[in-house]
Amino acid sequence: MSGYFLLEGTSAAMRHPAIIAIAVLYFVIVSAIGIWATRRTKTASDYFVAGQGIGIVTLAIAAMASTLSGFAFIGGPGLVYTVGTGAVFLVLSASITNTMGAWVLAKRMRLLGEARGLITVPDAIAARFRSPAAQGLSAISILVAVIGYMATNFLALGLVIDAMFGTGLTLGIWLAMLVTLSYTVAGGILAGVYTDLFEGMVKAAASMTVFYFVLKAGGGMAGISRAITAVDSTFLGPWGKMPALAALSLFFVFGLGSLGQPHVAHKFYMLKEPRKLKWYPLLMSVAMAVTLLLYVGVGLAMRAMTATGAIAPLARADDATPAFVLGFTPSVVAGIVFAGVIAAGMSTVNSFMNIGAAALTHDLPRAFGRRVGNELRWGRIWTLALSLAAVIVAQLSGTLVAFLGIFGYGLFAATLVPSLAVGLNWQGATREGAVASIATGLGLTLVLETLAYFKVFSLPTGVTVSGLALLLSLLVFFVVSWFTRARAAAQLDADIRLVMEV
Amino acid sequence: MITRFALAALVLSCTAIAGAYLSAFLPGGAPPLAAWGMALGAAGALASIMALGAARGGKLRPIALVACVLTFLVVGGAFALALVLPANEGKDAVIVLGFPLRTAIVLYGVGIVPILFLPAMYAASFDADTLSDADLERVRRAGQERGA
Repeated sequence: MSGYFLLEGTSAAMRHPAIIAIAVLYFVIVSAIGIWATRRTKTASDYFVAGQGIGIVTLAIAAMASTLSGFAFIGGPGLVYTVGTGAVFLVLSASITNTMGAWVLAKRMRLLGEARGLITVPDAIAARFRSPAAQGLSAISILVAVIGYMATNFLALGLVIDAMFGTGLTLGIWLAMLVTLSYTVAGGILAGVYTDLFEGMVKAAASMTVFYFVLKAGGGMAGISRAITAVDSTFLGPWGKMPALAALSLFFVFGLGSLGQPHVAHKFYMLKEPRKLKWYPLLMSVAMAVTLLLYVGVGLAMRAMTATGAIAPLARADDATPAFVLGFTPSVVAGIVFAGVIAAGMSTVNSFMNIGAAALTHDLPRAFGRRVGNELRWGRIWTLALSLAAVIVAQLSGTLVAFLGIFGYGLFAATLVPSLAVGLNWQGATREGAVASIATGLGLTLVLETLAYFKVFSLPTGVTVSGLALLLSLLVFFVVSWFTRARAAAQLDADIRLVMEV
Repeated sequence: MITRFALAALVLSCTAIAGAYLSAFLPGGAPPLAAWGMALGAAGALASIMALGAARGGKLRPIALVACVLTFLVVGGAFALALVLPANEGKDAVIVLGFPLRTAIVLYGVGIVPILFLPAMYAASFDADTLSDADLERVRRAGQERGA
């Protein structure tokens, strides 16, 4: 998820010395982690899967940090402020997805790493179906989504840096890229995971602290609800201001789609001790729940305060979080929150840099039957190239960047859920089904999102491109696998069958 | 056996969601029944894919089975209650645990209650039913044999 906002009205307040000091301290700590990780990154395995050496607490918090981007702190609360409860359906399934992901993906991915030494998500699809075509197609899908995601997050980070340090947007975007790139290109995912750990803790602390001030400012949740329901009878309905079908569709896409997010799935390869996965759902669920308090609370509190006349309506919904923390929390808390926003963007970008570089260095060459000689060196080169491409895209028109960022989650879901999540758990699935479903998800998402962007065609209320593409790619996967089911058994290697049966 | 059942449930859930989406193309928009298809389809899809992942050797052990069934009942039930109960989120709204009744059912029922049982059930079933030392050793041996 990604989101960006404009902070023209709040820039001056954000240049408070305490806020800037915390932001600078944050950059110093991230740089120190990057230097430490660089000294420990010596192989492609270190660079792409942290040498399979990270602990379960680090894994869970890093996965949470890269799942919740700046959208969770800025765009999300803004959406809650606008459509009420309906916006919560984007994150409502987090109570289930971590355990679901553990059962469906975590064990199988980690065991694939154990049996085959795999390092990417397309690797897992290729191994499952013995299909270079499926590996190549899934790598292309990942690349398309990664550029959009990185661009939106660079833009968001550039806006925050500009607001805090007065750099101007262009320089802000470049600074964001250079800081993230410096630790990613040198320290690879090892740097990424440990900065994610730090950033995840910053985000969780910021969220809990802000939620305390939300309850204080609004007179508790009941006080907030009474203020809103007194003036608006739909905002706090179960679906908010969205039709029930639209809200529930978000629940479906973000629930099932969570199984197709490569920046989370590929972290399972990194776990040092596979049996520690026992505690993954508990750790991840608690981390997510705590960090999402801000997402839910700030938008509701700001709406309640506009309802009572305590504050004027916001000019832009995305100002909900900046306006709340600057107006209702001490400067130190505001500093932690803005550091949390930067942390959210950087941890997400770092993960995408890594999986994008892996797609170019590792997956696409293998799809064409080739192998790169020095994957570590080429991984670093492609990380740099991808970052430059994303920065250039980030400086294009805001609507284009938003467009590219929006379909990332849905594209991952539509292309990867059938072949990865279902494929690793159903021996009857076939490579023909996998290739057809990835092609369906990729083609449908690109075509429908582009038609919608140019206003040529749009889907009826309640139907999203992401939902439709995910649904159809699943159905294509089932139907094609069923028609080609006679080939399924022959497409499964003995060690992969064991991983699927264990 | 359970794998087939879980797959059938997943396909059925997807069909319910497809029906809900298709109905949105009707003149006049989606009928109220579409939300039911999406609510039960989404709950069913999550529970059935979870069952597919938790199954071992075509069987679902008791704890995992209860977890999957409970997930469907809690999520589907919360959405169903929100669809069935009369709307009352205006100035006379009954506030329960900080939210109007129907909203509280959805936010706590779907967003919080599963956290109270799913991670615990996963951990409780892990050693015996998910990944034992012996399982890990078998996979490592298979990897070594393949590499040899």
